[in-house]
Amino acid sequence: MSEVSTSPNAAPGLSERLRRAAQNGRLTATLILLPPALILFTLFVMLPLGESGVYAFYDWNGYGAPEDFVGFRNFEQMFGHSVFSVAAGNTVKIVIVSLLVQLPLALLLALLIYKKTPTNAAFRLIFFVPYIMAEVAAGLIWSFVFDGNYGVTASIANSLGIDRFFVLADRELAFYAVMVVIVWKYFGFHMMIYIAALQGVPDDQVEAAQIEGASRRQIVRHVQIPHIRPAIAVSVFFSIIGALQVFDVIIPLTNGGPSNQTHTIVTYLYEFGLTRLRIGFGSAVGVVLFIVAVLVAVFYQRIFMRRANP
Amino acid sequence: MAEVRLENVTKAFGNLTVIPDLSLTVPDKSFTVLVGPSGCGKSTLLRLIAGLEKPTSGAIRIGGDDVTRAEPSKRGISMVFQSYALYPHMSVARNIDFGLRISNVPKEERERRLNEAARILALEDYLDRKPAELSGGQRQRVAIGRSIVRNPKVFLFDEPLSNLDAALRAQMRVELAELHQSIASTMIYVTHDQVEAMTLADQIVVMNKGRIEQIGTPMDLYDKPASVFVAGFIGSPKMNLMPGKAIGRPDIPTVGIRPEDVEVTEGDGWETKARVVETLGSDTIAHVRVEDVGEMTVRLPGHIRLNDGDRLKLRADPARQHHFDADGRRMEGQTA
Ligand SMILES: Nc1ncnc2c1ncn2[C@@H]1O[C@H](COP(=O)(O)OP(=O)(O)OP(=O)(O)O)[C@@H](O)[C@H]1O
Ligand SMILES: [Mg+2]
Repeated sequence: MSEVSTSPNAAPGLSERLRRAAQNGRLTATLILLPPALILFTLFVMLPLGESGVYAFYDWNGYGAPEDFVGFRNFEQMFGHSVFSVAAGNTVKIVIVSLLVQLPLALLLALLIYKKTPTNAAFRLIFFVPYIMAEVAAGLIWSFVFDGNYGVTASIANSLGIDRFFVLADRELAFYAVMVVIVWKYFGFHMMIYIAALQGVPDDQVEAAQIEGASRRQIVRHVQIPHIRPAIAVSVFFSIIGALQVFDVIIPLTNGGPSNQTHTIVTYLYEFGLTRLRIGFGSAVGVVLFIVAVLVAVFYQRIFMRRANP
Repeated sequence: MAEVRLENVTKAFGNLTVIPDLSLTVPDKSFTVLVGPSGCGKSTLLRLIAGLEKPTSGAIRIGGDDVTRAEPSKRGISMVFQSYALYPHMSVARNIDFGLRISNVPKEERERRLNEAARILALEDYLDRKPAELSGGQRQRVAIGRSIVRNPKVFLFDEPLSNLDAALRAQMRVELAELHQSIASTMIYVTHDQVEAMTLADQIVVMNKGRIEQIGTPMDLYDKPASVFVAGFIGSPKMNLMPGKAIGRPDIPTVGIRPEDVEVTEGDGWETKARVVETLGSDTIAHVRVEDVGEMTVRLPGHIRLNDGDRLKLRADPARQHHFDADGRRMEGQTA
């Protein structure tokens, strides 16, 4: 997309630049390589986005053309719906847990195993397995774990001699269980980002700090973390955007239940928009989610990513 | 008192024995330079003294204390790395007083030491800058400043000047010599550079494959190299080494003649032809071919102007020849 910078608003010396671009083959490359990307992006990203922006103002079941224009009614319904508030609240909780539990955990593990040794390589692989596992499979595995009759929790209850408990059926506990699974599923990704970054910290800076009497914690705080700050900025960004979009693990775990207590915005969209054939309503949810994501992205890039790359 | 002693130190990385068995005493307040070819274990030795590596066996004492298993920060040493190892996100001042801060040295004391170091190293105007905004020489000084403020008993330097250009290196060499005079600590210094070794050292340690070939003052090593290896390593251009029969002494396996111990003569001498001539101004270095002897390098006074291909007659000063036995050891009493 950087070739877009040869567009007409790059006014001074435009013809000169075009001529040079034509000579060194960049113009040809642009003409050949840009259209497929542009067409695909337009067809599969911009058009659907624009369309759902339109559908959001219709009451439409997905069949035929949308005709029943309802103005902002979909939005009013959504913001008035208690389940939407729960879903939005859950999404915020996921963001918070991702930032305050998942990322510190990922950083801690990365600090433990970033050095290149065979043992560390094995641990790295183990910790990364949840991330490469299909979301649905992960959800299924954990639904067995949490199964109060036959699962791991059942064994725990038995060995402790307490009553069986059904975590995923408990209105209070279910979402905590979901968050455990989310942390488990995605920490490996952030851990890998941190490991790569930590390996880039020059050894001699760590050694210099050792010689100066810095403790392990002081080295982490004063030498390693400042070094990997750009990586942390990226990982926080991925973490927030990912948290806004959590969907797949929830369906096999709780499917949003019990009593709609474990929905996220996306499962809410799926449940109340798609499965009930209220495409217009679902589009409205999608539009809200999209706007939030874009706002986060724009502000985050403005504030943090820029400072991270001076 | 901060004499550094290594007693039968060995170091292996897995199957690779880098230092087979090494004993060395670095006298208190001396400037000791470790030299040797790449990969001979100089950095490893320095890191053993620093505590960044633990010896496989043997003992290390600093100022009489056994520090073999002690943490680097508990040894009273400081180290200047080849790459400087400055913290890029901290200002010069922070880089210098980092160690003092984390060991909770009181503010006044910290500032006093920081200002003292900045004064010695002429860094006063740069204290607020980040390392990226400094020149190579300034960065080097910051790294040295970071060492100074800790008042170490022993300074360790690992090729500290090798990233600097020649002019800056010459200047920093003088500054290091001055520093050593003014703070009178023990300094152990690793270098590849002949000139640094000869000019800075009280004592040079020549290493080869993890062993010490010779220890001595610069002029000891120059005048009486203990082996062919040292003879070839100390002095620039390198000493000419040739079989004894070249000078009519078939009883001597190897004869060494320094390029500067050869002169142009009118009388008896080798008939030679200059292959390449390097005119340095003060000296003229000629790479010549000698019948029946082979290639030789000679250093002649600068007023002798030569061209490639010139013929000249050369004579080696017989009093300044070095004789080595079949094992490459120096044969004593041979240089009359
Ligand atoms: N951490 C390590 N693991 C394995 N081998 C090592 C390690 N550190 C050094 N070595 C090996 O030890 C030998 C000596 O290395 P060292 O760095 O001490 O050499 P040096 O004399 O400082 O060389 P140079 O002049 O190139 O810096 C080399 O063969 C090197 O490959
Ligand atoms: Mg080295």
